[in-house]
Amino acid sequence: MTDEYKVEEGIYYTKEHEWAKKLDDGMVAVGIDDFAQAQLHEIVYVELPEMDAEVSQGEAIGAVESVKAVSDMYCPVGGKVVEVNEELLDTPEKINNDPYGEGWIAKIEPSSLDDDLGNLMDAAAYAEYLKTVSH
Amino acid sequence: MKKTHLYKYHVEHGNVIDFGGFAMPVWYEGIKVEHAAVRNACGIFDTCHMGRTWATGPDVIRFLNYIVTNDVTTLEKNGGLYTVMCRPTGGIIDDLILYKISDEKFWVVYNASNREKDFKWLKKNSKDFDVKLKDVSDEVAMIAVQGPKAQEVLQKITEQDLEKVERFNISDLTVSGYEMMAARTGYTGEDGFELYIPDTTPENPEKALKVWNDLIEAGAVPCGLGARDSLRLEAGLWLYGNDMDESINPLEARLGWTVKLDKEGYFIGQRAIQKKKDEGISKILVGIKMEERGIPRHGYPVLNMEEEEIGLVTSGGLSPTLGYGIAMAYVPPEYRKRGTELNIQIRGKPVKGKVVKYRPFYDSSVYGWKRDK
Repeated sequence: MTDEYKVEEGIYYTKEHEWAKKLDDGMVAVGIDDFAQAQLHEIVYVELPEMDAEVSQGEAIGAVESVKAVSDMYCPVGGKVVEVNEELLDTPEKINNDPYGEGWIAKIEPSSLDDDLGNLMDAAAYAEYLKTVSH
Repeated sequence: MKKTHLYKYHVEHGNVIDFGGFAMPVWYEGIKVEHAAVRNACGIFDTCHMGRTWATGPDVIRFLNYIVTNDVTTLEKNGGLYTVMCRPTGGIIDDLILYKISDEKFWVVYNASNREKDFKWLKKNSKDFDVKLKDVSDEVAMIAVQGPKAQEVLQKITEQDLEKVERFNISDLTVSGYEMMAARTGYTGEDGFELYIPDTTPENPEKALKVWNDLIEAGAVPCGLGARDSLRLEAGLWLYGNDMDESINPLEARLGWTVKLDKEGYFIGQRAIQKKKDEGISKILVGIKMEERGIPRHGYPVLNMEEEEIGLVTSGGLSPTLGYGIAMAYVPPEYRKRGTELNIQIRGKPVKGKVVKYRPFYDSSVYGWKRDK
């Protein structure tokens, strides 16, 4: 069943189904992955992280909600929140349609990126992990 | 997991979960489209998991009047009566609908989650009455057809004129060529029918599946439990286990209108409810509309403007029709007035809301069975 979820190369994943992507300017974009959006189905609301908040890896920084369910968003890397995707307030379904692209949730100025990435899975490891995740 | 008559359809088309021991669909295409189909056109729900019992015999009216809080003697033939039944403590065992087929025959419909509990309670309390009780939940399929176009859709596969079935009444119909009963009621706030299809079981579901598929063919959208919950919440209808349970008195649940304290004879819970009425209640169910972004959910604390906890949300969600968060919650009676400002604590943060009319939350001239035609 894992084949039905997209796993994008070149980004890092958590066991709770968040992703982190290194950007050219040194910032890190974060969001929830294809598995998480598919489980939630029809996302209707996003509670965005607070701008300028100092966050640590694994800290709850926001939430993504469908009609039926709430999923906390845990920050995959520590640092400072420098940008949030305000478009999601009016079009939360972007997370369903494009979880690794237009559905990004925040950008983080990382404080200890190498250590944090060491705690995450790369695409290959994550694809293996997905196989162990039951429905 | 127990399977309903329509299980085959659910696994092929829906997202099936374990709901109180039943394999039921949360959604087929998605909650939002299914919700909209019922508010604007016609949706159908598998409600085979609900409880259905025949109560018959010379004492049936006296028996039911002893069991439930509402006055069964007011019912006319083919009429339906919404009521609750209580423990001697006044705690609500369940809410249910009684339909009078004749002076000696009643059709009793109750919640899926309480099927065994309710039937046992009825049975246990029937000893002193000349009544027979027969649980036929597995031998009768049940499908709800709901929405402003429910009549139009159902009419395409029904021989009788549905215009003649009045709101809350039950009638014999021939649908898809099968004889069955249908009640003009539902759990969505909209016009609609509940079909009770006899002589079909989860093992022999062909009749039920035929009606279900004919309804889809006639234009109905199959809907799962997700939309059922969001629709009933918008209509301000109680969900047993959330908005009422055995710790809640009907007066607290705003079900006083179903309690006829002056009806003839004693009924179970009467003294406790009378006492509560005399002493006054310490909490009451209210509807809350969110004034800020945020979705209230079951179990979230309700705070006053001083941010002191005063109650809990029993049902909540984003209203797909209204586009904002709505909730039902128990609060002390001094907060019951419409317009009262409150906070709901969402992930640790107080989010502003206010007490509003909630049965229904929507404008009933625009949505629901009383809407302007």
